[in-house]
Parts: sequence; C-alpha cells; structure tokens
Amino acid sequence: MPERDADIVVIGSGAGGGTVAKELAPLCRDGIRIVVLEAGPKLRDDEFTGREVEMARLLYVDSGGFQTADKTMTLALGRAYGGSTVVYTGTSLTVTRPVIERWGVPGLTHEDVLARSQKYLRENNVHLLDASDLNDNNRLFADGCRRLGYRVEQFPLNLKGCAGTSVCNLGCPTGAKMGTHRVQLPEAERQGVTVVTNCTVTRVAGQSVSATVTPPPAGEPSAWAPGDYRIRAQAVVVSAGAVGSPALMLRSGLGSALPALGRYFTCHPALILVAQHPQPITNFAGHPKSFYCDHFADDQGFLLETCMYFPFTTAKSLAGFGDDHSRMMAAMDRLQMILVLAIDPPERENRVAVDAAGRPVVHYTFTDRVRRSLVQAMRASARIFFAAGAERVHAPAGRDFFIESADADRIDDLIPFSGLTLGKVAIASAHPMGGCRMGAGPADAVTDAWGQVHGLPWLFVADGSLFPRCAEINPYVTIMALADRVAQRVRERLPELKARPS
Amino acid sequence: MLDLIDLALADRTPDVQRQFALFLAVLRWVPVARYGRRLDVLAPARQIAVLRYVQDCPVQLLRCGFWGLRTLVLLGYYGRPDAAAAIGYAPTTNGNAVLHARARR
Repeated sequence: MPERDADIVVIGSGAGGGTVAKELAPLCRDGIRIVVLEAGPKLRDDEFTGREVEMARLLYVDSGGFQTADKTMTLALGRAYGGSTVVYTGTSLTVTRPVIERWGVPGLTHEDVLARSQKYLRENNVHLLDASDLNDNNRLFADGCRRLGYRVEQFPLNLKGCAGTSVCNLGCPTGAKMGTHRVQLPEAERQGVTVVTNCTVTRVAGQSVSATVTPPPAGEPSAWAPGDYRIRAQAVVVSAGAVGSPALMLRSGLGSALPALGRYFTCHPALILVAQHPQPITNFAGHPKSFYCDHFADDQGFLLETCMYFPFTTAKSLAGFGDDHSRMMAAMDRLQMILVLAIDPPERENRVAVDAAGRPVVHYTFTDRVRRSLVQAMRASARIFFAAGAERVHAPAGRDFFIESADADRIDDLIPFSGLTLGKVAIASAHPMGGCRMGAGPADAVTDAWGQVHGLPWLFVADGSLFPRCAEINPYVTIMALADRVAQRVRERLPELKARPS
Repeated sequence: MLDLIDLALADRTPDVQRQFALFLAVLRWVPVARYGRRLDVLAPARQIAVLRYVQDCPVQLLRCGFWGLRTLVLLGYYGRPDAAAAIGYAPTTNGNAVLHARARR
C-alpha cells in the first residue's frame, strides 16, 4: 500500500473542511504539507448540466436519497469538491444568540461565532438579491406572509453573477454560487494545499489515515492515482459531515472511549409543500430561495422557506399517486413551493451508527413535538398559499389530495395531526447536524469547544457534526465559523503535535 | 424509463436490493387473500385499490416499501428530460433575463 506523509490531513472539503484548508493554507509557505481528501468528484464547469437525475447521481450520496434505518426519511448528503456547498442554495444566515446559549458549550460565545461568521459573509460575497431578481414564487410567499401578519425576511445569499438558473441544488451551471468550491478551496490550492478528490477514507488510526482513491465518475482526475493509500500526519481534521464524520470515527474504533459519538443527531426534518395557481407564475426562472419565515420558530418549532424543486423531486414530495398527482405535476409552471424545516431536539437515541461493513446507518425517531410541528407547518403554509392567491393546495397529511381555495377556512380540519403517516409522507433532510457534539467532557460530548476530540490531541472535527443541538437556521455559515476556530486551534497545536513521537 | 430505475437500483447496496425484491414479491401476492388472484392479473381498479391499501396500511415497513416503489416509478417517469418538458418545466441558464424581460412588458 502506498504511503504518503503529510503534516495535516483534512477529510472532506465542504463548509468545514474547505474552510479549514483555506485557513491553514498559509502554513504551506513554511513547508507544512496539507492534504484534503474528498470522497466526491470535481466536475468541470461545463459538466454542471442542471439535469436532475444526472447531477443527483454525481453530487449526492445515494443520489440524494440516503435513507434512515427505518426508511421514514431521506437525507441529502452532498459529495463533491466543495461538499454540500456545491448543492445548497447559498442561504447565508448567522446563528442567533439564543441558539448558542442553548448549545451551552463552555468556551463558545455568540460574539466569537458571529465575528467569524461575518468574515465569511464578506469573503463569500453574501448580499441580498435586487428586487428585480425575485421571481413570483418568492414574492408570492412574502406577500402571503405579510397579509397574514407573519414575520418574513429576505435571505442573504452568497452569489456572484447569478443568472437565475434556479437549479442551485443540482450545482450551479454558471458557477455563481460562492461555496468552498469557488472560494476557499481554490485559494487553499493556490497556496499549496493538495486536494485529492474521489478519495474515500476508510479509517483513522493513530496518526494515520487509510483511504482509497477510485477512478472519477466524471470531472477532473484525482491528484493521486486510483488505489489504496496510508497517509501519516501530525494532525487529522475530520470534516466528512454529520453522517460521515461520526461513521468514520466509529468504524475507526473510537466509539468505546467516546460514548456520545454518533449521538444527538438532528437534521431539521423537512417537507416540500406545493400549491397551484390559476395562471402561470415565474418559478423556475430566478433564484429559488429568497425569503424565509421564522414567525413560528419559538412557539411551534418550524421554519418556512421558499423553494423550487425539479420534476422528480416535486413528484416524490407529493403524497399519493393517480390522477390528482398527475394533474398537479402537469401544472409545473403554475406551482408555488414552500420548504418546511422542523426544529428537532437533540435526542440521545437519534444517532449515526455503522453496519458490519462500516457503512453509516442513521437511526432517527420523530418525536411527537416534531410530528406536531410538521402538521402545524402544513397548516401555516396552506394559509400562506391561499393568501398569495393559490387556487388549490396539496398537504401531504391532508384528508384529500387537494384543498381547494373555497375550503381555506377549514384548513385545521382538512389537515389533521393524524394525517402525518410516517412512510407515506415524504420527509427529507438536508441539514444533518450533531454526532460529534462539542461539550465539556467525553461522557456527553465528542470534542471540546475548539473541535479537538476529547483525549486525542491530534484529532479534530470541523463540520456540522459539532453542533450540540440543531442550528435553527441553514447551517453552513455557522459550520464555517466553527471550522475557523478549529483551524486556529490546529495552527496553535501543530508545533507540539509535530514534536510528539508518532 | 426502466433504464433510470435499473440504474437507481444498481447504485443501492445488495441488502437494499434484496429488501426491495422481497417487497415486490409480497406486493404481488398480498391480493390473493382478498381477491384470490395475484396483483399483476387483477383488473386495474382492483390493482389501484390494493396499492392504496398498502400505501396507507398500518404496517410501517410496508408503507415504506410502497414509498420506495412509488419513488422509483416517479423517478423513471419524471426523471426523463422529455417528461419534464411535457409538464412545462423548462429552466434556462438566463432565468434572471426572463424575469427582467417580463418586468419590462
């Protein structure tokens, strides 16, 4: 097996790994060798076609349909040079003070996270879209919220030269989204960091990493030839995401010393809700996600966001089948969409585990509160749709496939709590969090407030798995802020780590 | 259509492939208890009735199996570029230009 030497190995290149790589890159000037190992491919610009099935296969684990153990939810896990930042919509919110206070991590303050977040808001060109770039799908949501008195805000977005292709979740065909694949990783490479794509890490043991490089399914060839590798390093930063990181550490045998490893997994369980307007609206022209509503976050535990999905994703998000389903799909140019995100609590039994082959298995049970939130969110969304002028709404937990506008005053009756049947309603998540939570000690946490794994001074975590509870917002900016802290700690510790015997 | 479904199944682990094959076998024979015939030889109205029963049945595992089957069928149909075009889905690389042109009208 070929062996490689590095000083720092970063596993994953998304919001966490890409940020760590860029922040540590100046060390390359001093001869420090930094290698980023990324499981996914690096597509060439012209390979971002925006075609749904093709892009999903290339850029997501299991084409975006990674299932939880009981198969009641799917997780969208990005896998590419840039990780999930390639396939998010670029919504760039900073975490609130109450959330950081709820996290309760000794040594982690909101001031610190906010200051670091703001650095990336500047670096990644975060701004509000001009009103002329807002399409009907977004404007109708904001109008509906305002008519009902619901608080609604415009999303800051990390775009540069956005042409409004609307297919952000399939990778931007015009390269306008400023994820780590456009900003941090190219900068890191310019300074001497090596990024190895199509490289799956199988194990971290001692200060060495075992990995396999496979031929690329598309895109640029990997920096290393296909084959198995062992990479020795003084510091290892695991940034493989809230499913990948705990799974890697569990199959590396770290679970017995770290009882919280994999646990307290949260994910903002999500629903895609759809309504039909009497006339065509602009929905697949322009950026898909311009507004959010956090009006119900504190009392009812959910957030609403605008969204616009593609035919297959839309079709599977509707409950049921048959004529009504086909009729709604045939009105694609008249559909308005809302994404629901439930604010889920950190439950010890909601966890990432590994199967006998070392593959990740996510055990997730919906609490009664989350189920209730999802139904309340369907009701609120139905009201927004109708307030915006929709003629009919599809609620996956509804008694009937359609709720007509004439029945808008009976929404609570028509969307009963009992209608949320797990296994029938399509629940998905794109915000995996937790599993390597920060905290004071190894009994109930995996890392300290700086992402260093308890008891292992050479091993760090830098991704959404650090979150002790969910972020209650789209998480990538917070991941970058935490990764900035991790990079700082690695930089501080590297001299003593290099002095240690391997 | 079948190509997309085959591809999706081929990407799954052998365990998932086996579970899906088992679900299809169960689905095929479930109607025998009520109608005395397999699903594939029932009249269309009864086939739909059986599918709706499984979709809503009390056993979560069967519901999830049906969800998986339904998802594959939808993938096979709506995953095709010509199906997307047929339902009026036609994103362009200059969506903002479309918005601006509409605003000028």
